[in-house]
Amino acid sequence: MIPFVAKRLWNGVLTLAALATLTFFVMRLAPGGPFSRNRKISPEVQANIEAAFHLDEPVAQQFARYLWGIVRGDLGPSTRFRDYSVNDLIAAGLPTSLTIGFWAILVAALVGIGLGMAGALRRNGWADYAAGTIGVIGIAIPIFIIGPLMQAYFSVHLGWLPVGGWNEGWHSLILPVLVLALPNIAYISRLTRSSTIEVLRENHVRTARAKGIGPARVLWGHAMTGALLPVIAYLGPACAALITGSILIETVFALPGIGRFFVDAALNRDYPLVMGITLVYGGFLVVFNILTDLLRGWLDPRVRHAD
Amino acid sequence: MQIDPAPAQSTAALQVRRFRANRLAMVSVYLLGAVVAFCFLGPFAFPFTGEDADFDNISAPMNLLSLHPFGTDDYGRDLLVRVLEGGQVSLLIGFLGALTAGIIGVLYGAVSGFAGGRTDTIMMRAVEVLYGFPYVILVILLSLLFGGGTVALFVALVFTLWLTPAVIVRAQAQSLSRREFVEAARAGGMTSWQIVTQHIVPNTISLVIVYGSLLVPEVILSESFLSFLGIGIKEPQASWGNLIQIGTSQMATDLRLLLLPGTLLALVLFCLNFIADGLRDAFDPNER
Amino acid sequence: MDCETPLTQMNANLLSLQDLSVHFAHGGGQTCVVDRINLDLAAGEVLGIVGESGSGKSQLLFALMGLLASNGRASGRAVFDGQDLISLRPKALDQVRGRALSMIFQDPMTSLNPYKRIGDQLAEGLIHHQGMGRAAALAEASRMLDRVRIPDAARAARRHPHEFSGGMRQRVMIAMALLVRPKLLLADEPTTALDVTIQAQVLDLMSEIARETGTAIIFVTHDLGVVARICDRVAVLYGGRIMEEGPAEAMLSVPAHPYAKGLLATTPRMEAPLTPRLPVIAGAPRSGGAMLPSCPFSPRCEARMPACEVMPDLRANGPARRLACHLQGGA
Repeated sequence: MIPFVAKRLWNGVLTLAALATLTFFVMRLAPGGPFSRNRKISPEVQANIEAAFHLDEPVAQQFARYLWGIVRGDLGPSTRFRDYSVNDLIAAGLPTSLTIGFWAILVAALVGIGLGMAGALRRNGWADYAAGTIGVIGIAIPIFIIGPLMQAYFSVHLGWLPVGGWNEGWHSLILPVLVLALPNIAYISRLTRSSTIEVLRENHVRTARAKGIGPARVLWGHAMTGALLPVIAYLGPACAALITGSILIETVFALPGIGRFFVDAALNRDYPLVMGITLVYGGFLVVFNILTDLLRGWLDPRVRHAD
Repeated sequence: MQIDPAPAQSTAALQVRRFRANRLAMVSVYLLGAVVAFCFLGPFAFPFTGEDADFDNISAPMNLLSLHPFGTDDYGRDLLVRVLEGGQVSLLIGFLGALTAGIIGVLYGAVSGFAGGRTDTIMMRAVEVLYGFPYVILVILLSLLFGGGTVALFVALVFTLWLTPAVIVRAQAQSLSRREFVEAARAGGMTSWQIVTQHIVPNTISLVIVYGSLLVPEVILSESFLSFLGIGIKEPQASWGNLIQIGTSQMATDLRLLLLPGTLLALVLFCLNFIADGLRDAFDPNER
Repeated sequence: MDCETPLTQMNANLLSLQDLSVHFAHGGGQTCVVDRINLDLAAGEVLGIVGESGSGKSQLLFALMGLLASNGRASGRAVFDGQDLISLRPKALDQVRGRALSMIFQDPMTSLNPYKRIGDQLAEGLIHHQGMGRAAALAEASRMLDRVRIPDAARAARRHPHEFSGGMRQRVMIAMALLVRPKLLLADEPTTALDVTIQAQVLDLMSEIARETGTAIIFVTHDLGVVARICDRVAVLYGGRIMEEGPAEAMLSVPAHPYAKGLLATTPRMEAPLTPRLPVIAGAPRSGGAMLPSCPFSPRCEARMPACEVMPDLRANGPARRLACHLQGGA
């Protein structure tokens, strides 16, 4: 088990290192600097500002300084929000993004797996049609269309839910979580359905039936694991999709999360903030992938022993 | 007893026939074709372009019988033509992007799988690391690196999307390179490059078509949301993404600005998904 | 029933198949794979069912266990221990299978649950049907693993199937099936996928344990060598019908039915003289379609007669033997 985990951790570290490097150099090479958009300022003031942000140093030195900062947990000051450090900004926005993301994936997993299994067990029943419909909608209609449409209906037209913002407690959560969960529900229910159907056909499930232990035990004790493994494998990359989605959702529903900060920062060349958020996202992805890999390893002994 | 041939060995004719039998997929093909034709040929039916401002008709409502069947926006630009022109951009980027990402991915995967050994390990390690990057972050960063705008967007999308075809093709290339016909080719004096291009790649085509067909909606979707965020295609150039963004901001007063591009985008994505499903069923019927 | 079996013997039978048929429904209609089988099995007896692929032999077993595919239907009766298996509702069937009636399958590589330890898989039947506690059940499982000669049984019970070879996995399956001390074990070609050297060991093991526990076995196979080794009686199946049936030794030395004769002739033997060509049975088995009134083997039969347009009934043909052929009385 240990080598299994260690290998994945090491890959994760490599990924993050590569990510940090890439981000750093991309931002440096991109045309336009953090201060070129401001109104005209005198060259001396410009030089001072640049010195304060170490932008006058050679690139390699800036990179080394940056890496050292990361190791110490300091992601530097934001060039746009002058009074705040990147750590502050991320700390402010992260809880929002995490909350939405957590609920979205929970809803997506529960509803998706539920619908998928129900559809597989009773084909062409209502669950199957429901799953199929959600499936088609969730996969084909982008969330930046569904989001505004739901806003238009539930918020503007019916007035039941807030149009956006983060100020109304759990009411603010409902629409963003639902919209974010939708494409994942679609995908997960489809995946669960087809993998359940496939597993129920397998020989070892037939053996279980032959033992006369009853359909419930056959399903839960024997079919479930095989049916869920592909879904769990999907959850890792699903996290990545969730990150993408959260950026869109935060824009559409005006939520103060790190996704919105990221887009803003990117457009305004706020290097430290962009890099900080990139690392946070990358870190999440790595952690989530490791967790799902561990879960798979725990459930499927063949995976454990393969490494 | 009859032994069924393995699906991968079906002739192309059989696969085409299976696809054609899939009504949903065929309807999607025709529908998609109609939308494409509409987007590329439709604008010619109008005496103006999507950028021409008609000052006499600002914010005109929908009137199917007028010169502006779907009305105009608040600059006086005809909505329908703008949406069609936006469609041209989105569709073009979608298909070209998927094609380019596919070609790069296939070559990379074929070389890696065929070469094996350390080359393969290094190449795949690079892919693993890249896979660990949050996709949207990478696309946004790369967009910015190349200065934003259409070309940057294209490069960014291709750069992130070639990974999946590469992984798939590499697995197939690995198993193919162990077959006898490859040894025979070597014995006949073919260079590695020739073997890769003339033997390995053609045998992965069906696999690529099936998985690659999902690339197109992915590219279109990615372009849309990037333009929606303001990072991709920018005004005044239209794309469905930024048109939807405008529509969103004016949603409370005027839904059609959102609905027209939104419906077309959703329709195209629907069709592409069903076509991809149909291709998968045609090439590998055991999947379902 | 058309075999002349005394009434007293009928009641003592463990299993009595009466006009058992199996049909599959599909787009084009119905295919009959097992056609009105009549067969009896006494307690503790080992019956071999021999046939080629497509003869319906596996489907016969699946019908008894209620494991037919969703488009399959069984008709007729299969009286086991006083109950008709065919007409049992699923819940009632679950009381029988895994308890009085067990089955082992052809492919050991995929028939075990890859995610569970084998000890747990063995113990499951005991826990469910006999209400045994987990510790006791696992102990029993270990003992059984030892009995089937899995080395280091206690440790092995904590392992997963993929850590075992095919032959070992099949032994695990045998252990699992016989652990509950069933009255009848259905074996669907359990040794076909194994190495020849392992086959013999597994066969001997099966018959040994079955004798100990008093379990009857129905052994489906296409291999006459297997029949010779462990079966008391054998029934030859072709095209879903029984062609001949009787004591193994008699059947294998003096088969009466042309098909049975052909099978025996095509089995290579050590002591037979070398021939330039191996004998074969001409033609190929029919696949699918409705049952015809003629004898299914007649297209390939060298002794074919006009009378073969009508399939003969299964009739007594000597002591404890039955034959369905117009050539009754020797050929």
